[in-house]
Amino acid sequence: MKKWMSISLGVMLLSTLLSACGGGNNTPSAGGNAEGAPSSGGNTKSEEPVTIKFMHFKSDFTDQIAKIVEQFESENPNIKVEIQPVKYDDYYTLLKTKLAGGDVIDVFTLNAGFNTQLFADGGYLTDLTGQPFLNNFDESVVKGQATDGKNYVMPLNANPIAVFYNKKIFKDLGLEVPRTYDALIAAAEKIKADGKTPFALGWKDGWTMTMWNTRDLPSNSALVEGQPDFFEKIEKGQAKFADNPAVKTTIEHAAKLFELGNKDQLGVDYNGAVDLFAKGNVGMMYMGTWPLPDIEKKNPDLYNNDLGYFPYPFSNDESLNKLDFNADASLAIGSKTEHKEAALKFLEFMSSKEGGDAWVENIKSLSYVKGTSTDIAPAIKDLQPYFDNGQTYDSQLYLAKTTIDWRAPFDQNLQNLFFKKVTPEQIISNMDDWLSKNHK
Amino acid sequence: MGNLQRALRKEMWYLLFIVPGVCLFIMAVVIPLIMGARYSFTNWDGVSNKFAFVGWDNYVKAYQDPGFWAALGNTAKYALILTLLVNVFSLLLALVLDAFLPLRNVFRTIFFLPSVISIVLSGFIWSYNYSTGIPQLLSHFGLDVTSPLGNPDYALFGLILVALWQGIGSPMIIYIAGLQGIPQELSESAKIDGAGVWKSFRHITFPLLAPSVTINLLLVLTGSLKVFDLVFVTTNGGPGFATEVVSTYIYRTSFSSFQGGYGMALSMMFFLILVIVTVVQMSISRRREVEM
Repeated sequence: MKKWMSISLGVMLLSTLLSACGGGNNTPSAGGNAEGAPSSGGNTKSEEPVTIKFMHFKSDFTDQIAKIVEQFESENPNIKVEIQPVKYDDYYTLLKTKLAGGDVIDVFTLNAGFNTQLFADGGYLTDLTGQPFLNNFDESVVKGQATDGKNYVMPLNANPIAVFYNKKIFKDLGLEVPRTYDALIAAAEKIKADGKTPFALGWKDGWTMTMWNTRDLPSNSALVEGQPDFFEKIEKGQAKFADNPAVKTTIEHAAKLFELGNKDQLGVDYNGAVDLFAKGNVGMMYMGTWPLPDIEKKNPDLYNNDLGYFPYPFSNDESLNKLDFNADASLAIGSKTEHKEAALKFLEFMSSKEGGDAWVENIKSLSYVKGTSTDIAPAIKDLQPYFDNGQTYDSQLYLAKTTIDWRAPFDQNLQNLFFKKVTPEQIISNMDDWLSKNHK
Repeated sequence: MGNLQRALRKEMWYLLFIVPGVCLFIMAVVIPLIMGARYSFTNWDGVSNKFAFVGWDNYVKAYQDPGFWAALGNTAKYALILTLLVNVFSLLLALVLDAFLPLRNVFRTIFFLPSVISIVLSGFIWSYNYSTGIPQLLSHFGLDVTSPLGNPDYALFGLILVALWQGIGSPMIIYIAGLQGIPQELSESAKIDGAGVWKSFRHITFPLLAPSVTINLLLVLTGSLKVFDLVFVTTNGGPGFATEVVSTYIYRTSFSSFQGGYGMALSMMFFLILVIVTVVQMSISRRREVEM
C-alpha cells in the first residue's frame, strides 16, 4: 500500500513538473491567438486599453524617452507603452534572440540599412509602405530608408557626425577650421607641437573607432575612388579590398589619427575621451551630437563659448567634404504584433511635429520630421550653413546592403597596425583572406 | 527478488529528489546541446527561418580557420597561466591564513571579497583602474604608465591579473578546508622527528592536500577555458585579436557575422575539446592522488 502511494506520488510530482516545463511554451501562443483576433476586428475593439511593448537602443536617454512616451500616453489614454531600453552594444543580439525565440515586441528601434534588411528578410517586420505618416518626412529620406522598395521602418532621428573642436585652442594657435584632410592633420600637428592633445579618441570602446572608419572608408571609396557599390560587391565576393585604393587611404588615416590621439588610445574609452575633451586640453574629437549634454555638464564655459563643430574632411577635395548626416534610430513594428493599430498610432505620434519636437528637445538630436527645430546646442549652429546649402550626404547609405561583418576584422587589423604588428599591405591581404571565407 | 524490491523502494526517495535536477539539466543542457548539434550541420544565419543542411562543411571550415586556432591558442595561454597562478597564490594564502595569525578571519574575508562581486562589475572596475586609476596614482611618483588592456602585447596578462584578483577566493577556501582536515598530530610528530617547515609541507601537508589540488585545478582550468564575460566587458577580444578567446570568437561569429550554423559547429568542437581536457586532467590528477 505504502509502496503504491510513493510511486503514485512520484508520478504526480513528475507530471506536474513536466506540465510546468511544457506550460511555458503553450501559454503565450494561446494568448496570441485569443488576442490576435480582436485586433483585426476593427475600431470598436481599439477602445479597450492595450499595452504595447517598445524596445529601444537609446539607453543613454532612458528618462528622456520615457518623457516622450508619457506625452503619447496622455494623448492616447487607451494605450499603455511598456518601454524596454537596451544598451546599443547588446541591442541587436537581444532583439535577434527575442524575435527568433517567438517573443512579441510591438515597436522597436532599428538602424536603416543592413540591420533592417536582415530583419525584413527574416520576416519579422510589418510593411509600412504607403502609411500616411510617412508623408511627414522628406521623400528622399523615406526612399533612402526603404528596403527593396518597401518601407519597413519609419525614419526617426538623424545625427550629424563631425568633428568637435575647441575654438579657444584654435584661436590661440591661429588655426582656421580645416576644410581638407591635409589641413586637418597640419592643424593637429600644430596642436601637438603646442603640448596639447590633437584628438580625443576613446578607441577602447569598439564603436568609437568603428564609427570613424565606417565613415572614412565608404566616403573615400564612393566619392574619391568612385566605387559607390564597393560594399555591395564585397558582400557577394565580387570585389576585393586590394582593388579599392580607398582602403589604403583609410589605413593611412587611421595610423595618423592614432599617432595624433590622446595617450593610451586603446585604453581610454568613450567616456574617458569626452572627459579629456571637456577638460579643455584637447583640440578635436570626432563624434556625433550625443556627448553634448555631457560636455555641458562638465564644462559649461566650453560648451557655451568655445565649442565648435565642423564636417570631417575625409579627402583633400574641399567640394567633396560635405557634412555627414546619418540616420540614427528608425522605428519598426514587429510582424507578430497583436496591437497593430496601437503601434501605428505610436508611430504616427512620433512622426508628428509634436513628437518630433519632443524628440529634439529631450534627446538633443535632430529629427527627420519636417519643420522640427534644430536648436539643440550652440555648437550645432556652426553646421547650419551646410544644412542650408544642402551640403550634406549620408556615408552609411553605401554600407546599406552589406550584412557581412567586415568591421570587426578590419578594426582588429587596424589595432594591430597601431602596434606595428602588421603592415598596411598585410591588412589588405588579411581582409581579402577573411572575405574569401565570409562573403555570401 | 524481494531484496531488490526493498532496495528499490528505499532508493525511490533518492530518485525522487534528483528528478527536478535531472529535469532542469535535460532542459537546460541536454536538449539545447542536441538542437545545437543539429544546427551545426546547417548554414543557418542565426536570424532567418530558412536554412539548409550542409553536412560536415562547417567542421571542415573550422579546421581551416586560422581565427579559431588563434583564439584557441589565446584561450590555452590564458587558462594555463591563470590555473597555475591561482592555485599557487591561493595555496600560499591558505597556508598563511590557516596558521595561527591574529585577525585571520578578517584577512580571509578580505581575500575572499573580490569573488563576491560579479565578473562584469570587476571588469568595469579594472578597466577604470588600468586606464585612469593606476596611471594617475603612479603619476604622483613620476611614472608614466598606460593601460595594459590597450596594448596587444600585454592585454592578455592584464586580463589574467584581473581574473587572478577575483578568482583566488574560492580555491583559497577549499585549500583552507583541506588543510583543516589534516590531523595536527602528523605535523607535530614530524616536527619531533626534526622535519623543517618545507619538509613537512613537502612530505605531509601537500600529499594530504592532493584531493583539494585536484578539484581546484579542475575547477579553475575548466572555468578559465570557458572565460567569456571578463573578456567581453573589458577588451571584447581586442586590441588586435590579442585577447580573442574561443567563446568570444564563437559569439562574434554567431551574432555579429551572422553565421549561426558555423558558430554552433565551433561550439561543438570547443565542447569536445573541453571534455577531453577535463577527462585527461582528471585522470592524471586522480592517479597522482592514489600514488601519494
